[in-house]
Amino acid sequence: MSTQDKVTIHQLPTGVPGLDEIVGGGLPEFSFNIIAGAPGSGKTTLAHQFVFANATPERPALYFTVLGESTIKMLRYQQQYTFFDPAKLPDSIRFINLSQVVLEKDLGAVLEEITKEVEKANPAVVVVDSFRTMVRKPQSDMDLQSFIQRLALFLASWQATTFLIGEYAEEELRDNPIFTVADGLFWLRQTAERNSIVRKLQIIKLRGQDSVPGLHTFRITDAGVQAFSRTFGLSGHAKNPPSHRRLSFGIAELDKMLGGGVREGDSVLVAGSSGTGKSVLATQFIAEGIRQGEPGIVAVFEERPQAYAERAASLGLDLETPQKDGKLTILYLRPLDLSVDETMHSILDAVQKIGAKRLVIDSLAGFEMALSPGFRADFRESLYRMIFALTGIGVTILSTVEVDESFTEFPFSTYSISFLTDDIVRLRYVSIDGQLRKIMVVIKMRGGNHAKDIREYEITSKGVVILGKRLTNYQGLISGIPVRSDRPDSTAEPSLDTGIEHKP
Amino acid sequence: MTTPPKIRDLAHRLVACEAVATRTTEPRKSATLRVYEKLRDGLSEFAGVAGFESIASRALALARTEAPSLDAVRVSSDGELHGLERDLGEIEHPIDIDKDRAGESQAGEGEIILIARILGLLLLFLGEAIVLSLLRVTWPGAAFDDRNSENGRNE
Repeated sequence: MSTQDKVTIHQLPTGVPGLDEIVGGGLPEFSFNIIAGAPGSGKTTLAHQFVFANATPERPALYFTVLGESTIKMLRYQQQYTFFDPAKLPDSIRFINLSQVVLEKDLGAVLEEITKEVEKANPAVVVVDSFRTMVRKPQSDMDLQSFIQRLALFLASWQATTFLIGEYAEEELRDNPIFTVADGLFWLRQTAERNSIVRKLQIIKLRGQDSVPGLHTFRITDAGVQAFSRTFGLSGHAKNPPSHRRLSFGIAELDKMLGGGVREGDSVLVAGSSGTGKSVLATQFIAEGIRQGEPGIVAVFEERPQAYAERAASLGLDLETPQKDGKLTILYLRPLDLSVDETMHSILDAVQKIGAKRLVIDSLAGFEMALSPGFRADFRESLYRMIFALTGIGVTILSTVEVDESFTEFPFSTYSISFLTDDIVRLRYVSIDGQLRKIMVVIKMRGGNHAKDIREYEITSKGVVILGKRLTNYQGLISGIPVRSDRPDSTAEPSLDTGIEHKP
Repeated sequence: MTTPPKIRDLAHRLVACEAVATRTTEPRKSATLRVYEKLRDGLSEFAGVAGFESIASRALALARTEAPSLDAVRVSSDGELHGLERDLGEIEHPIDIDKDRAGESQAGEGEIILIARILGLLLLFLGEAIVLSLLRVTWPGAAFDDRNSENGRNE
């Protein structure tokens, strides 16, 4: 039998932004699915989004309500969502209450009632909300199993895609016939982490197609449920081939130290303590990109876009005009309850919207603070996924990170994330001749030559300016307390390392 | 607080639809009760028998504040209305909607208010778009849009 003879399973849009990607393109047509989770986790809203996305007058949706939330209240609340189109009621979407038959009769009568309505309406979508309350009355396992089997068989035969909604606990996954019969099992979780709510979705099973495994963050907004795939929606994107192009910082001496600039598609970490000019360097990087026709994104967490642009203006860098021209987006990601996936979604939207080639994340400390406490434990892992995804599509990322200044150590970051980055530029204070001066060194450049020189720099009205040549008349510069030696300052050009990787 | 005129007008239009459907000579109680029964059928399927019963009971309580004649009326647990037939049994004249809408006819005002109160609660809970969609299923030929007619009634 050739592949041409295999049946084609059509996929239906879930109506939930981000969920199609997670389920592998869409929901398999005629599948029998369970949405499980605790009260308030968004089960009904998710089902409504699916219903509103797929119901038509020709192939309507039947939404059976049982005990629990009343239909009137449910619709009162659900119609607040933007996806809710009242015009679809009742021709495309019919609500049918089964409470009476559930209360007064047995499962056979319930099945009969559902059968009658389905045969009458010929629906494309059937929802039972809540299925759990429908089968809550004591009955033998065989009764229940038989009911579920017959219901699943009947609805699939009538070419309906079905959602059963239930408040289940995870320990019920075992030995419950409903989970055996189901083609798809969507589990919604929400947990309180300190002062924030963390919502995650898992496709525990989905027959017939590959879904993205793992827990995916989701949020409920006025647009309904929005899911954020762990692969950031980039799983189908081809990786860009490695680029040999070098991107300039707009600081000639720094470009030289970097062996000609940052390699396109690299992830660069600029590390230093407060006031060393990390943000200035990042701003110059993005401004130079715009000057060279490369749109950019700046994700800021610690100050508003307007303040960021004004600070750039004080350095003679115009960020207002490129924003108006659609060449630059400064994203201010509201703090305290974000997941990395949501942040990524915002950044990716912006990247795709303006075709950004450069991205600045200023700073990782601010990024971490902006996350809900529940997501901070996964920060490194999430950051890895984010950097991998973005650099894979050719975006060059510059992240700033604040490190505690120490005169005994020379840390590259407080997150042990230097392994995630291709290039590291370290800024630090040194005490020289009774002054607190600043030095810069390129710690690593993956796959490229870079200078070994330690260079002094200043932050002026023109931004970061690298002074003179390398500091050869001091020893112990990276300790922050160097000792003057008798050697004069070097006049030689920066000497280049051959790209040996340093282990932080 | 009395029933807003717009909602009362909607109640009138439903009753008128029912009256027209039976050639206007139908006694008022039949038309009004049929409106109630059709609302009951539609809403019981949609929101459950208990759902309709709770709305109807609340509507009756509110309607009594405007129409003391409804004091003896009761809503049973299955949503059926009791007591209205007896009160209206003496009404033998044919329906005159225009007169009633103008407030010139006091007879049968209570049951119009009850229907209006049910509609008012539905509008409060579900909004106009959904309620009118539901009504159009039961009364497909009726025009519920105020813009369709002078004084909000389809002529």
